[in-house]
Amino acid sequence: MAVFQAALVNELEKLYKKKKALAALLLSLAVIVIGQIIIVGVRSGFGLRTAGSMEFPMLVLSVVVNTILPLFTALVTIDSFSGEFAHNNMRITLTRPVSRLKIFAAKITAISIFILATLLLLLFFSIMAGFIFNTNSATLDSFVRTVFSYIVSLFPMVVLALGIVLLTNLLKSGISVFFVSILIFLGLKVLGVFFSQYSSILMTTQLDWYNLFLMKSFPLAKIMRQFLIMLGSSIMLFTAGFYLFDKKEL
Amino acid sequence: MEPIIEIKNLTKQYENGRGIKNINLEISEGDIFGFLGPNGAGKTTAMKLMTGLIHPDYGDVKIFGHSITEDYERAMAKVGCLIEIAEAYAYLSAFDNLKQLARFYPDVDYQRIDEVLELTGMSKYKHEKPKKFSLGMKQRLGLAAAILSRPKVVILDEPLNGLDVEGMIDIRKLIQKLADEEKTTFFISSHLIHDVELTCNRIGVIYNGEILNVESTKTILRNYATLENYFVSEVERNGRLSSSVG
Repeated sequence: MAVFQAALVNELEKLYKKKKALAALLLSLAVIVIGQIIIVGVRSGFGLRTAGSMEFPMLVLSVVVNTILPLFTALVTIDSFSGEFAHNNMRITLTRPVSRLKIFAAKITAISIFILATLLLLLFFSIMAGFIFNTNSATLDSFVRTVFSYIVSLFPMVVLALGIVLLTNLLKSGISVFFVSILIFLGLKVLGVFFSQYSSILMTTQLDWYNLFLMKSFPLAKIMRQFLIMLGSSIMLFTAGFYLFDKKEL
Repeated sequence: MEPIIEIKNLTKQYENGRGIKNINLEISEGDIFGFLGPNGAGKTTAMKLMTGLIHPDYGDVKIFGHSITEDYERAMAKVGCLIEIAEAYAYLSAFDNLKQLARFYPDVDYQRIDEVLELTGMSKYKHEKPKKFSLGMKQRLGLAAAILSRPKVVILDEPLNGLDVEGMIDIRKLIQKLADEEKTTFFISSHLIHDVELTCNRIGVIYNGEILNVESTKTILRNYATLENYFVSEVERNGRLSSSVG
């Protein structure tokens, strides 16, 4: 366990020092600022009610989980795997007394922590912006549901990250991984529109699963089904990704 | 004496036909073993197999009795290595690069990091990032990383690459100091015959992926004027044998 902790601290330090993760966090905050400016503009310009204090964070979440969060997750994941393979940096860790499984798990944990940190930061600032600039529509129930929606959005993002990890171990170049990831993401989105009856098994549809937690009647069976699909996908993607990572010759 | 490193039937063949075939070696404590061979002979392949960077087709390497393929963490617990080019994270300072590695060893603290930076002559650059380093400076940092954990075994692939004369002398002295004072065992590959002659006490010649001979430096120099003569004679003898077999 101590070795895994050391590997995890190392991965987090690298994320922090590379400044890419920091830039991603700052850009996420820019989404809140831009969103808030648009809302204030529409309200004062057209006199329309746009979003209440608790609706604004949900509006932000619905935008980021389908756009910049998958993008930053892809960038950080590609950097952590393809980037280190390309610069021969992977050797630095792989020649230490630590198994490849622990390094692989530490990298994925660090990426998950990055996603969670981004979501929590977005949650905090969007709630703040919602309270300051928008009409008050907050109840304890809506607050709890908002917090929950942000936290559960971590799961589909981790599945997405594991999918990209698999690609980084299949394809050599980070740029190829990036473009293939975008193509697959767009492809799954289109499939979700044409085959909506099967869309619940698609990674891109799962990004919106937080909506299940906003329903008045709590759809436990549906939530469990979605959760198990994501868990199953995670286990398969983790295993396939690790198999390739373990066989990788440097 | 119990061998510290045991290499048994180690084989790795690449699609281009290169690689190593059936290598058997035993390295004992205190040895400064020189792995001598021309470019493409299989030195780096053997060293990558010894450190788990690539997987063998057949055979195994045991370090302190632990198999590198089955029990990697224990096998590498007392090993420091520098394979091919000394790599470092370009966005971390020299000190932070070593701090990353130090976390894997409970008894390595910041004082030890300063100590190895001093030993390799990198103290004054400890807060600088490796992207500004020359090849020689990177190599020194790589050596600092290799000896950071006070390893009992150090595996070095072309450790003098990119070093100037002063640097070569410094590193040679450092290797000898660690071997004398801390009984560190070294496994060094090099194509610099003169340096192998000055540094190593046992020498193995590898050619075309096969070990031709293993002999102590003393015995070699008793029978040959220089290590170069011995190397040429071994390679020629092998060449003749191969052509007569063919």
